[in-house]
Amino acid sequence: MIEKSVQCPKCKTVLVCTGEPGEVVKVKCSSCGMLGKVTFKNFISSDEVAIEVANLKKIYGDLAAVNGISFRVKKGEVFAFLGPNGAGKTTTVEMIESIRVPTAGSIKILGKDIKTSFNEIKEKIGILPQEFHSYERLTVKETLMYFSKLYEKRTDIDQIISMMDLTEHQKMLYRNLSGGLKQRVGVAISLVNDPEIVFLDEPTTGLDPKARREVWDVIAGLKKRRKTVFLTTHYMEEAEHLADHIAVIHKGKIIAEGSLEQLIQKYGMGAVLHIKKCSNSHANEILKERGFSVLSEKNGDISIKIDYKERVLEILAELRHACIEYDSIDIRRSNLEEVFLNLTGARLSEETQ
Amino acid sequence: MKPRIIITDFVASMKGWIRSRGTIFWSIVFPIMLILIFGAIFSGTDNTTYTIYVQDLDESTWSQNYIDTLKNISVLEVENIPQDVSITDYIKEKDLRGALLIPDGFGSKVEQSFLNPNIKANLSFYFDPSDQGSTAVVRSIIGSSLQETNLFLTGGRHVIGMDQVSTITSKFKYIDFFIPGMIGFTIMQICIYGSIERNTKYRKDGILRKLQTTPITRTEWILAKMLFMLFLSFFSTSVAVIVGILAWGVVININIWMIAIIIANSFLFSGLGMLIGRFVKEEETADTAAGAISFPMMFLAGTFFPLQQMPQFLQDFARILPLYYVNEGLRNSMINLDYGKATYYTLIVFVFACVFFIAGVLLTKWKED
Repeated sequence: MIEKSVQCPKCKTVLVCTGEPGEVVKVKCSSCGMLGKVTFKNFISSDEVAIEVANLKKIYGDLAAVNGISFRVKKGEVFAFLGPNGAGKTTTVEMIESIRVPTAGSIKILGKDIKTSFNEIKEKIGILPQEFHSYERLTVKETLMYFSKLYEKRTDIDQIISMMDLTEHQKMLYRNLSGGLKQRVGVAISLVNDPEIVFLDEPTTGLDPKARREVWDVIAGLKKRRKTVFLTTHYMEEAEHLADHIAVIHKGKIIAEGSLEQLIQKYGMGAVLHIKKCSNSHANEILKERGFSVLSEKNGDISIKIDYKERVLEILAELRHACIEYDSIDIRRSNLEEVFLNLTGARLSEETQ
Repeated sequence: MKPRIIITDFVASMKGWIRSRGTIFWSIVFPIMLILIFGAIFSGTDNTTYTIYVQDLDESTWSQNYIDTLKNISVLEVENIPQDVSITDYIKEKDLRGALLIPDGFGSKVEQSFLNPNIKANLSFYFDPSDQGSTAVVRSIIGSSLQETNLFLTGGRHVIGMDQVSTITSKFKYIDFFIPGMIGFTIMQICIYGSIERNTKYRKDGILRKLQTTPITRTEWILAKMLFMLFLSFFSTSVAVIVGILAWGVVININIWMIAIIIANSFLFSGLGMLIGRFVKEEETADTAAGAISFPMMFLAGTFFPLQQMPQFLQDFARILPLYYVNEGLRNSMINLDYGKATYYTLIVFVFACVFFIAGVLLTKWKED
């Protein structure tokens, strides 16, 4: 918990507020009653930083695929790099993995510059490239043995096979595996050197929902083992489900960054109460008069923004007081889709099509 | 450079190869089939005209009359060999497949044979027995012309005969010509397609991207793959030689030139494959491009038939094809035992190998733009 002093811009009263790093806290001036927001910056000490990217650019002719992005990934967290196809996710991760050469900017992994120390860094990272398919005619175990022997530092292959739940498939040729199993093997390959950081580039793209869940379980397992995971994805549910920290990238720029809660709090609509089939056609006007934020009204269905949970009870009490009946109520929370919509004016799922 | 890493990649390539029926077919069964089929069929091209080189050491009316007889045969063109050169040296120097020698005293022997039936006047036909094409046709035409001449002179008694002299030291057949070509061609196919698979399929599958994030270096990886290509090259050579010996009784001379050419051939076509894979990135297109380069080379570089049977412009064209030098080098080292020529062709193949392999290595990129 961090304590921060802020000055009210209207009456200049100094207010003291508290919050978590990265949190956005709503404050009300004790003198003039003015409402405002205070952002607590995400401070991480250099020892805690796994990846540090500063002003990274990748320019192809007139196109800036990645346009001056900066971010830091904390050790032990699952960092989701979320954005639609073509946003610059893979270009960014491939620059971090030293597969592509940046036009400008700097990248540090575990405190070391990748330009000068990548050979040393290779031993400490594991990577699953996008759309990766391994050698078709090696078995699962042979594949893991092959990649393991490339490293100085190795871990027990049988242990990885067991951890990834691949024991019964270890003698199968890679080419005969299902899509989900192939991705699981891909993740297993990225762990053969017991890396500190695991990069997973779109690990669930093209998988059916069941296989996707299986890969999610594997990633959740990595998180439990305190591995730093850099996950690129265009699936908002994946980021919501797995990530401690999310950076949203759009057209080569990071447009938002923070934990899921922080992003929703800052860029989402908050919670919305949907009231179905109100008996009084003037219900929305009555609620507006009482100071509630009515977002929409159609055929007696009303949507109202909820700033805090007690607001629901206040609205329902108001409806009862006005003798307005309704069929049902439903409260929906904001999600990343809504955050993305608010930030870009487009739905993430549509941009990804 | 870590030998452990190179061996690891080599072993993985071996396992993949052993488990791939298609690859085994193309590297073992296909060459065996061709050796068996071509060995059984021989070649049978039908040129409209054939050139016969004649050296007349007799310069008598009889020898001139016989040369005129040959000139009157519509499908024959007669070229003279100067008297002051050795016919075997001339054949070697001009790389001829056959030549006819009219020896000194030929005319007088013909005249004597009228009085004494035991005296015969013989011509000598020098030929390359491995050439079952044009030389065999020419030899048959000369034989027929001699029969007609004998019939005209004596009503059929054998006055003029023909000695057959091989231009190569041992007794060789067409299959002896074919096996070295088959070895050169098979290595070319294995190396070109092997390189393309590495450079297009591995790129598409993300294996190259994955490998460059591991401690294996590009040099270690290329060396491991080259080691594997060399293994396949020697393996397929052994298969071709064993099948040739067992099925057709081929006499093969294994020597340092042959081994040097096989090594250079592997590097040469692996380099060419790398270049194709570098510029044609889609797997299917790269396969087509490889076929477009290797398929014509297979026919135009003297793999199946001697180059001398082809029109002059195709013979000139063949001399810019690397496979031509591989084939000629292998034949001169394995069959003709002409080590001077074998060295010459080996050096040319090495120059080609250096150029293609170095260009291939330099242009093969792991990093993306």
